[in-house]
Amino acid sequence: MAALTVVLSGCSLGPWRRQAAPQAGLGPESRQQPALSGDGRLLASLVERAGRSTVLLQERLSGKVLPLRQLRSRQPHSSPSLSWNGRYLALLVQQGARRQAVIEDRATGRLQPLFLPAGEEPQELSLSPDGQRIAVEVISGGSERLRLFDLSGLLEPDPAPGMRQSGGGQGMTP
Amino acid sequence: MNRPSGSGPLWGSLLTLALLLGGCQGGIRPVNGINQQLNRLGSSASPSLTGTWLALIATRQGGRAQVQLIDLQRGAPVPLLGLNRADSLPISVAVDQAGERLAVVRQRDDRSELVLYRRSIQASQTLAIEPAGVPQRVNLSADGRVLAVQVSRGGLWQVDLLELP
Repeated sequence: MAALTVVLSGCSLGPWRRQAAPQAGLGPESRQQPALSGDGRLLASLVERAGRSTVLLQERLSGKVLPLRQLRSRQPHSSPSLSWNGRYLALLVQQGARRQAVIEDRATGRLQPLFLPAGEEPQELSLSPDGQRIAVEVISGGSERLRLFDLSGLLEPDPAPGMRQSGGGQGMTP
Repeated sequence: MNRPSGSGPLWGSLLTLALLLGGCQGGIRPVNGINQQLNRLGSSASPSLTGTWLALIATRQGGRAQVQLIDLQRGAPVPLLGLNRADSLPISVAVDQAGERLAVVRQRDDRSELVLYRRSIQASQTLAIEPAGVPQRVNLSADGRVLAVQVSRGGLWQVDLLELP
């Protein structure tokens, strides 16, 4: 697929290049909640499959669809978020009547559920590029709150190329 | 680990087992210092987490929604001079790994616009949506080079990708 469709210029921050989103399947379809890997190589987004919102992972430039072994069910999916190289995909899935935060490790095929404190219903996720922390928007006591969690005991880092691996997860005195 | 057969009860049993084996909260730990800071911001939504930066939209009781950028090493918000305006309402935000570029979708004068803010020069640039559409949600690659925007166009949700210089 041709990646580049329009070139814009003439502004103080430009020029920037506009690229058509890769189209998977049988032509144009509704697509929501885009999430890029840290290096911009991969794009996760939500498409409709059999009337259910389903996460689709693609190479941004070629449009090639990448398999997600653990996520072919448990729709509707929402709020995808990718690590730097796309090893980890965090998202919300349906678990009975509740939304469940999970992380698929594409290197091992393992699906890791994230159990939030009781009474907090996840609405949106953002995984740090190295996969060592996650920010979760929850409904708690009727209002929207953000919670930051350390994942360093759960996931190996997915570092940017050339970045020294660290233990992660500190940075702030509790 | 093989994929479960897809039945709800089996999946539920596996989750329960994982909870029991994994201990408190399945191995994730709240970052309490930051979470206390976040509680003080009031209602907060639209998280974008990269390295040592957390961008979000916070609304204090009785106040207007504002984009906030938290320096996670210092545990405190940093100034975003010129980004939050009295005549606009942010609805989605994303930040790059360096904490330099913030992409914001905001409502202003009854229309939605996409803005790229550069913190080092405190400058905002409105990015045109072409073909015309209504931006709703934005995501920025951590390297700050690619922007993905969810746009309503012709009754369809689409994703526009922009490569930034």
